[in-house]
Amino acid sequence: MGSRASTLLREEEIEEIKKETGFSHSQITRLYSRFTSLDKGENGTLSREDFQRIPELAINPLGDRIINAFFPEGEDQVNFRGFMRTLAHFRPIEDNEKNKNAAATEPLNSRTNKLLFAFRLYDLDRDDKISRDELLQVLRMMVGVNISDEQLGSIADRTIQEADTNGDNSISFNEFIKVLEKVDVEQKMSIRFLH
Amino acid sequence: MPRDSLIPFDNISNEDELTSPHRGRERSQRGEKRDGVYEKKKKKKVTSRRRERSGVDEGGVQLEHERRDKEKRKRKRNTVQARGEGEENHKEREDERKSRKTAKLGKSLRNENSQKIQKEGEEEGEENQEEETEKKPKRKKKHGHSKKEEAEDEGKYELKEETQEVEKKNTKTVAETGLEQESSEDTEEVHEEDKVDQEDHENQVRPCSLSPEELEKLKEAVEERKKLIQSLRGKPWSMKKKLLTLRESQEFVEKYEGALGKAKGRKLYAYKVIMTKKWMKFQRDFENFKTACIPWEMKIKEIESHFGSSVASYFIFLRWMYGINMILFGLTFGLVMVPEALMGKPYGSIPRKTVPRSEEASAMNFAVLWDCGGYAQYSVLFYGYYNDQRAIGWLKFRMPLSYFLVGVGTVAYSYMVVIRTMARNANESGVGDDNSFNFSWKMFTSWDYLIGNPETADNKFASITTSFKEAILEEQENRKDDNIHLTRFLRVLANFLVLCCLAGSGYLIYFVVRRSQKFALDGLENHTWWERNEVNMVMSLLGMFCPMLFDVISTLENYHPRVALQWQLGRIFALFLGNLYTFIIALMDEINVKREEEKIIKFNITMWESNLYNGTGSENGTTVSPIIIQPADVPRGPCWETMVGQEFVRLIISDTMTTYITLLIGDFIRAVLVRFLNYCWCWDLEAGFPSYSEFDVSGNVLGLIFNQGMIWMGAFYAPCLPALNVLRLHVSMYLQCWAVMCCNVPQERVFKASRSNNFYMAMLLVILFLSTLPAIYTIVTIPPSFDCGPFSGKKRMFDVIQETLESDFPSWFSKVFIYASNPGLVLPFILLMVLAIYYLQSTSKSYKEANVELKKKLQTQNEENKKKNKQAALKAQLDLEEAQKVASQAPKPRYKSEKFCYNSLSVTEKCQQTKT
Repeated sequence: MGSRASTLLREEEIEEIKKETGFSHSQITRLYSRFTSLDKGENGTLSREDFQRIPELAINPLGDRIINAFFPEGEDQVNFRGFMRTLAHFRPIEDNEKNKNAAATEPLNSRTNKLLFAFRLYDLDRDDKISRDELLQVLRMMVGVNISDEQLGSIADRTIQEADTNGDNSISFNEFIKVLEKVDVEQKMSIRFLH
Repeated sequence: MPRDSLIPFDNISNEDELTSPHRGRERSQRGEKRDGVYEKKKKKKVTSRRRERSGVDEGGVQLEHERRDKEKRKRKRNTVQARGEGEENHKEREDERKSRKTAKLGKSLRNENSQKIQKEGEEEGEENQEEETEKKPKRKKKHGHSKKEEAEDEGKYELKEETQEVEKKNTKTVAETGLEQESSEDTEEVHEEDKVDQEDHENQVRPCSLSPEELEKLKEAVEERKKLIQSLRGKPWSMKKKLLTLRESQEFVEKYEGALGKAKGRKLYAYKVIMTKKWMKFQRDFENFKTACIPWEMKIKEIESHFGSSVASYFIFLRWMYGINMILFGLTFGLVMVPEALMGKPYGSIPRKTVPRSEEASAMNFAVLWDCGGYAQYSVLFYGYYNDQRAIGWLKFRMPLSYFLVGVGTVAYSYMVVIRTMARNANESGVGDDNSFNFSWKMFTSWDYLIGNPETADNKFASITTSFKEAILEEQENRKDDNIHLTRFLRVLANFLVLCCLAGSGYLIYFVVRRSQKFALDGLENHTWWERNEVNMVMSLLGMFCPMLFDVISTLENYHPRVALQWQLGRIFALFLGNLYTFIIALMDEINVKREEEKIIKFNITMWESNLYNGTGSENGTTVSPIIIQPADVPRGPCWETMVGQEFVRLIISDTMTTYITLLIGDFIRAVLVRFLNYCWCWDLEAGFPSYSEFDVSGNVLGLIFNQGMIWMGAFYAPCLPALNVLRLHVSMYLQCWAVMCCNVPQERVFKASRSNNFYMAMLLVILFLSTLPAIYTIVTIPPSFDCGPFSGKKRMFDVIQETLESDFPSWFSKVFIYASNPGLVLPFILLMVLAIYYLQSTSKSYKEANVELKKKLQTQNEENKKKNKQAALKAQLDLEEAQKVASQAPKPRYKSEKFCYNSLSVTEKCQQTKT
């Protein structure tokens, strides 16, 4: 597999991915071999079923949402570029990256992009707002049938009441950012990728 | 070959057809020059083959059928022969392919034969097949002639075919689909043939029977494939196609490249291939190795995925402790124990390094050794063994100085590490928590994404549910807080009870220590095992049962669980601290007793020596001959330092033992009982009362912290303590990892690890400070024993510094040092530091206050904004509803519609205004 990974990834491609995502060369090849090992159909793309095989995602109540995040709208295959683009959200922010704000485009692993990724997990209908119904759905995924619907409703109401600042009974991305202002997203939404 | 994979080859063929035909022509032209004689024949063959192939479309099915029939017939006859040939062939091939290929080879050979037959049959008319089979071996013998001809033909054919293979396949697919309709059997056979065909063209160029020219061509083909692989990256195809092409080409190259060239080249090639593969594997392994080098990383990750991050945080803490202890151990071992053992005077040379005569008989008994007596006491493990010789060995190693500096360095290093870690953690934890988004946080951040185990996931579901329930409860509790007097009373009562407990346990320890001193004075031999180990046992038992008691008491208080947990931690901390300090005070008493004893013995020794010398002097007159006294017979002092070290080592050992035993009994035995008694019990043991134990993170962390405190305290007097601790931590790492995975269930309520980490660290710092205090006190105030340890003969232990300054440094240095240590300089310096600390403290305080103020302001502003917005939204909504109402009423009375229209318009206008 290793030889395949090295022969199939063009240098320019690696360079592009490097530029786009900030991963190092060895990380890219390593992730590529992971990609190919996930790719049971051996056709260079991953399907939803391929992701479902990862136990952490299979168990996760939001697993479907996370898997969804890998796929561009309306497609059910993701190629390596797309895969890397999504993974780049989870790259830890390095110290030297914090300082150079001069870069024209925001890197994928910036705080805002990490938050946007999380926001999209909850925004089921992609209207850039988390409504009460969406919250209820997510809550039901998380706690199952252990709490009555009424209580869940009150939790969702409470959540919106806390977060909502403009009184539209839904949580926009800006409000979401404000809610998670104190949460150490940079650290929590980072995966230590092997080099 | 799977059928669906044929599809992308359409594209390849198109591509190839664009590029390869003239290449193929070139080659064929070259071929013409070289062997013009066979040219015609070959061309015929090619064309016929082509015809045959293209004919498949229309009437080809029949042809195929014929061929297949022939093949079948032939197969029966030729199996033996073909197999023989196959074996001959595959010796040339790579070993790994051996078993897989034999069958295929046989097949393909058969197929080859049949094809030859077919061609020849077409050219030379109908020939008997039996003749044909007989011809075959003959041809082989006539290597130069017919075989060569054929092989050459085939070689060229192969080249052509390569370019056309795709085309063929194209037609094949068509044929196949046609056949599919006929019968399923047929399709299967076509499939088989398809496979065979693919092998076929490859087997036509068996290297064993090839002339140099063919080899050349084959090489070219291989080169071409290689080029294809190389350029594959750049080709604008879909990944699927690339993968397919790559796989095929790689197979091809692998197959033939190794077989090409002479034996030497082949070997070199094989060697190269193997080496590159090995190198890749090595690189991968090395990466894995690097991860594996982080000690216990995989174990901790596994535990993390099963039990969430809180339990893992304990193990990470344990690992961190292990690292620190490793360094402490390295310091003491490398700079104190090893030099003394290697370069110091050997055992038995001086009294302090010899077991005294009275103890010699029992010095090797296990019970004595276990108690750190006998040979263990008179070894590098304890303070008393070290000699006060200034420099030892050929390195002139300054032993006493090194001993002192290592003692100080241990403590200094620990301080540095703990404080640095704390500062880092404090940076990470930020300003502190803010309860304004309680529910939102629970909603958005409660899932632990590292969980990969279904059981843990269930537990996480449960814990999220409970946390939500808790949050709801908390909200309710915030609103109504009745009966405050009762809870207050209960809390006071609980604290009173806890204080009683603490005082009681403190007294118990003090009492026991006193008693043990009495026993020690009587001599340990006359007492039972319990009496000898009373102190340690009592301390361990207290440490085991008091927390349970506190747990029971804390139910009285009715605190919020998080607060309750902190109270619990604080109380256990106080208990352990109290125990530790009682222990220390008792030790101090013992030290004083020993020093009294020492005075008497010292006096006795001078008497004894003078007696000795007087006696010998009177006998021998003026010449004082050296008196030979066995070092074991020399009377010696009690050496309180060694005693202190022994106490600590005993404490650590018994503590370790109790930890392990409670682990085995409390977790393992319980789990076994619950698991197996459940089959024959009247209630459900697993879900009911005993159940499986949970991993007690806080208790374990506290145990670890106190253990470390004892190490810091005792390390100066027993250099073996860090080593012992390293051993203990190592074992407990494995044991606890095993116990957790094997007999614990994940906690229902997950202790938030990230925030409490600094809490642990703070406790560690307190313990560090409290444990270095007595150690420093003893070092600074109590004069060392006169006849044991590296500082014997000095007034104070730190005199060793002054001694070094005077004798090893230039005189100006000591002068500077004396000036610098002048109280006149030191006092202002300390004053300055205090001022600086005060200043920094007050500024940070004011910043904090400003922060809080700002936060309050923000909050009120937020709330106001929210209110305003909400009011506006409500108003707008009301207006809108009104407008809708009006609008719905409007159509009925037509004559009024204009007016209503006007009304509704104004309302909508209003709405817009309010919205904007």
